[in-house]
Amino acid sequence: MAANFWTSSHYKQLLDPEEVDVVHPLDKERGITLEDFKLIKLHMSNYIARLAQNVKVRQRVVATAITYMRRVYVRRSMSEYDPRLVAPSCLYLASKAEESTVQARLLVFYIKKLYSDEKYRFEIKEILEMEMKILEALNYYLVVFHPYRALSQLLQDAGMNDATQLTWGLVNDTYKMDLILLHPPHLITLACIYIASVLKDKENTAWFEELRVDMNVVKNIAMEILDFYDSHKLITDDRVNAAMSKLAK
Amino acid sequence: MGDGRANNPNSHSNNNSSSNKPEWLEEYDVIGKIGEGTYGLVFLAKVKSNRSKPIAIKKFKQSKDGDGVSPTAIREIMLLREISHENVVKLANVHINHADMSLYLAFDYAEHDLYEIIRHHRDKVNQAINPYTVKSLLWQLLNGLNYLHSNWIVHRDLKPSNILVMGDGEEQGVVKIADFGLARIYQAPLKPLSENGVVVTIWYRAPELLLGAKHYTSAVDMWAVGCIFAELLTLKPLFQGQEVKGTINPFQLDQLDKIFKVLGHPTQEKWPTLVNLPHWQSDLQHIQGHKYETAGLYNVVHLSPKNPAYDLLSKMLEYDPQKRLTAAQALEHEYFRMEPLPGCNALVPPQPGEKVVNYPTRPVDTSTDIVGTISLQPSQPVSSGNSVSGAMSGSHVMQTRSMPRSMPMVGIQRMQPPGIPAYNLSQAGMGGGINPGNIPMPRGVAPQAHQQHQMRRKESGMGMTGYPPQPKSRRF
Repeated sequence: MAANFWTSSHYKQLLDPEEVDVVHPLDKERGITLEDFKLIKLHMSNYIARLAQNVKVRQRVVATAITYMRRVYVRRSMSEYDPRLVAPSCLYLASKAEESTVQARLLVFYIKKLYSDEKYRFEIKEILEMEMKILEALNYYLVVFHPYRALSQLLQDAGMNDATQLTWGLVNDTYKMDLILLHPPHLITLACIYIASVLKDKENTAWFEELRVDMNVVKNIAMEILDFYDSHKLITDDRVNAAMSKLAK
Repeated sequence: MGDGRANNPNSHSNNNSSSNKPEWLEEYDVIGKIGEGTYGLVFLAKVKSNRSKPIAIKKFKQSKDGDGVSPTAIREIMLLREISHENVVKLANVHINHADMSLYLAFDYAEHDLYEIIRHHRDKVNQAINPYTVKSLLWQLLNGLNYLHSNWIVHRDLKPSNILVMGDGEEQGVVKIADFGLARIYQAPLKPLSENGVVVTIWYRAPELLLGAKHYTSAVDMWAVGCIFAELLTLKPLFQGQEVKGTINPFQLDQLDKIFKVLGHPTQEKWPTLVNLPHWQSDLQHIQGHKYETAGLYNVVHLSPKNPAYDLLSKMLEYDPQKRLTAAQALEHEYFRMEPLPGCNALVPPQPGEKVVNYPTRPVDTSTDIVGTISLQPSQPVSSGNSVSGAMSGSHVMQTRSMPRSMPMVGIQRMQPPGIPAYNLSQAGMGGGINPGNIPMPRGVAPQAHQQHQMRRKESGMGMTGYPPQPKSRRF
């Protein structure tokens, strides 16, 4: 539960990739492909992070908000739940759940500052209404475990304190994917440490072997992250805009 | 919730604008209001498909403009969705009324709570609670608390009215810890409640908090359990301090004074970290200047110091939070291994021939409608146009329960004519049925003269966070 991941709702809700990579029929009708779907979620993750920077909340709030947003789109369509409204509303809800409440009017203020585009403009009332719809879409499961929790302890144990910043950055980037919906967070942590070990040329095989975890899963997650970095180079603003333009307002 | 029944992903049930009554409400027969607190109202209802199963529906107060769902509600839902234990209240469902943006939590209904049980013994039957019942209640309370603490949850607001006891039915006499509005997961150190602007009753507050300790630990809950244990034994709150209102300063001199008078002055030998507490340092004159007589806890609770019950109690009321007994340790205490052994039906002793006390059922106010009642409060601008008309649809309220029998007044704070908000209490109390603010009142919630003296405002019903009654207004 609250302290034990294995009895938590988060663990019980972990999904298979086939369940996450499904474009809602209503979105398909608008020509949104699986690629578009992923791009929009990536774009919205970045949006949440930027907005969070402006209103000054901790990374954990960002991570929870992005998790909420990604969970919403497992069940709901982007056509009915406009991502441009869902993203700030998830940040709003996450700020409450993580005990660092941000005022809705502050969000509205910074949204205006960040985007001149009319399509991003929403009123306070719309955020509040969406907050309730998100609660419903999440089926009221709000506790999220994050890979950050075990990070510093594991790094220290692996003798990799010098790689803290690098690994932290890697963990941040995993929220640009759906990994948090698919894998237990500590395995995501280990995958990031694994990548950091490779990048830093640190021989860690023995240390990983001593952990009683399935290294195949860790390596697979690491591969997914590296694949993402490869494909991320090809993502241009134009592609994002093209995907976003398929959302009507 | 959880079973997918109430949360069909494709349902937009609440968008129907033709009626103010949300569709999910059709699942229930709402019987009436049973409680009222800072965070909203509590209603008693029955599930239409299973009439034998009563439900308490806690309606959160609609937020002030621009705040959305209250963070308290968010945290309560967040925790309740994760926990599951026989001695913790069960969240049966969550509902939303999108029309007026109100949020409802549906719990399994518990007919009794320790506040009412203690009061019944003190004011009605004038007789101590059966030792079997005291022990069983305490054991179950500790059992639930041990579950919470081993999951790193601190309740932070344990008091008799938050400890519920199931009435007739399969779970008769089972304790349920309720009201998680202030509960927290303490993986990270918790900030003092005062920093969030939260006020909780001071009678059950641990001395380290009163002395300004910066962080909460599970030991604060154990102090509260100690206070509740003593209250079960004597039918009187153990430390009834006068609260200094309107301060965010946790320092409450009178409360500390009450504690020191019974337990003696804390010393650095007994409590080494005492000197680090802010108010111990800053208020030398008041707290350290006054010398207290030697401890007399056993006199207050009328127990011999050799009695295991006394031993357990004194270990829960240990000054040093680090030495204070934990819930797990308390469950292992000798007291629970002696006759009478604790049982899972705390209300009915297993020995035949033992007298069973019939506790009163909760009074139900059938004149308050579940939809649209809250924003009628005059001191709060009506933020939703739906609320007033919503309250008009009060005709479905059923009068299936007998009207509450008349209760002796404990204090004016606990008496309230239905429909008149707490803010106007003084006027309402004096004026009887008048409408002090000249606020237009829809039929469904208008105060009814014949009910006023029968209706008792429950501070804290099922799963309800209520402020405790003001110590001043309580007479014992």
